[in-house]
Amino acid sequence: MRRKVYISMKIRTIKLLVKEGTSNIYKNKLMTTASIITVAITLFFLGIVLLLAINLTSNIEVMKRDLDITVFLNVSATDFEREEVATYIDSKIEEGVVSQYRFESREVAFENIKNELKNEALLKGLTPAHMPESFYIKLTDPELSDQVISDLTKFSGVNTEYGIGYNKDRLERLEGILKAFNYVLIFLLVVLSIIAIFLISNTIRLTVYARRREIEIMKYVGALDGFIRLPFIVEGLLIGFIGALISYFLTHHAYEWLQHMLNSILLNLGYTTLRMMEFAPVAFRIFVIYAIFGVVIGGIGSMMSVRKHLNV
Amino acid sequence: MIRFVDATKVYSNGVVGLKNVTVRVEKGEFVFVIGASGSGKSTFLKMIMHEEAPTSGEVYVNGYSIHNMPRSEIPHLRRSLGIVFQDFRLLPNKTAYENVAFAMQIVEASPREIRRQVPLALGLVGLSKKAKAYPNQLSGGEQQRVALARALVNNPSVLIADEPTGNLDPKTSWEIMDLLEEINQRGTTVIVATHEKDIVDTMKKRVLILERGELRSDEKKGLYINEN
Repeated sequence: MRRKVYISMKIRTIKLLVKEGTSNIYKNKLMTTASIITVAITLFFLGIVLLLAINLTSNIEVMKRDLDITVFLNVSATDFEREEVATYIDSKIEEGVVSQYRFESREVAFENIKNELKNEALLKGLTPAHMPESFYIKLTDPELSDQVISDLTKFSGVNTEYGIGYNKDRLERLEGILKAFNYVLIFLLVVLSIIAIFLISNTIRLTVYARRREIEIMKYVGALDGFIRLPFIVEGLLIGFIGALISYFLTHHAYEWLQHMLNSILLNLGYTTLRMMEFAPVAFRIFVIYAIFGVVIGGIGSMMSVRKHLNV
Repeated sequence: MIRFVDATKVYSNGVVGLKNVTVRVEKGEFVFVIGASGSGKSTFLKMIMHEEAPTSGEVYVNGYSIHNMPRSEIPHLRRSLGIVFQDFRLLPNKTAYENVAFAMQIVEASPREIRRQVPLALGLVGLSKKAKAYPNQLSGGEQQRVALARALVNNPSVLIADEPTGNLDPKTSWEIMDLLEEINQRGTTVIVATHEKDIVDTMKKRVLILERGELRSDEKKGLYINEN
């Protein structure tokens, strides 16, 4: 018969305990506020770094897609020399190294430069015959670029004076930054989480201390362990969640400010494909991450304190 | 029913709390436990409520075995006990009524049960008129009555009182003792640890005398025997 009490707490009781936990928040304003702010700041830094990392990742993807090797032929290159290069590229397509390529004839190049310059004086005397032919080659994997470029330099028709264009350096630089961001992210995650957990745990400890008489009586009267613990757990979860909520709004505004600033800087620097993405598409994902993180941190913090100081 | 079988408690610092105590308290008995401080009196009571477990031997309380008791069983043991302390231990921010109701909320009684039982318990201790008073508005004797009402409201089969009159004047002490006797006559087992010689000698109840952790005497209708 007495086993019946084991089953679980009644809904009414859970309501009562959740209310108790919520009211604890008010009773201990100073420490609670400190904990909430810590959680908010922790998440804010994590979130900004996370968002920047997401941006870098997507920009790197875009770059990888757009990356091509530009090969100019000598202006004096013969049809045979051009065919040599074309045959080489075709063989690379069969090997799966090159995904596609585009050939730009003298005429097309001339049209392009005409459109770009729009200045009759500069174009005077210029004919398609002065323009070099060129190949734009897309690789299946940027890692294979070194081999392809060194092969291409060996053809007599290829102009090596200007070098073979390839923006792999920029890609590698961005990938390096992304890697660094990931390390910073992990570092922040660990350090800031520990600080937040510690502060929440300390806040709960103070509540436990403030309510030690009630807890003692509860134990003597025969309250279940869960009954005594639940209000403190609720308090911790709430601190975490409120912190996450505040942080989410902070992050949202800070990110949009950063987005506009960086976008105009990137534009001024002449990067047209590098862009900071909008916040809205990731808003929900960020919110969920924040809420989960806040609640987990709050839960761990209060659990630690309850185990150590409640002794039930 | 409470049974100690060769129960010994040695604290981690080497102090012996109880030494080979074997005793049996039947349902419905009234028992005084006396002894100087450090005699093992508190250890004896703490063992009944599983605040301490014996290091050897066995203690049985209301069908529970205190030795090796799983944690999850402790609340159920405590629900079969009512406990009163020398310092009352009421919650200062709750009224007399709320203090008693609190004990029922903790064991998840329904609001209806609470509304029915709390006035009964307060009536039993003669405090119906002070239900709305806060502890600091009550005298020591009244506070102890609230504590008694709280201990009884869940209908425990055993009432444990640790120096219940230690903070009270003689007249009030007697009132509390009369109340304890009344509670006992209604069928509850009552175990009282006390220093009050007059009370023990007058009430002529069973008396257990502890000395340095050992049970020195166990007399029906006993007297408070001074060690000198």
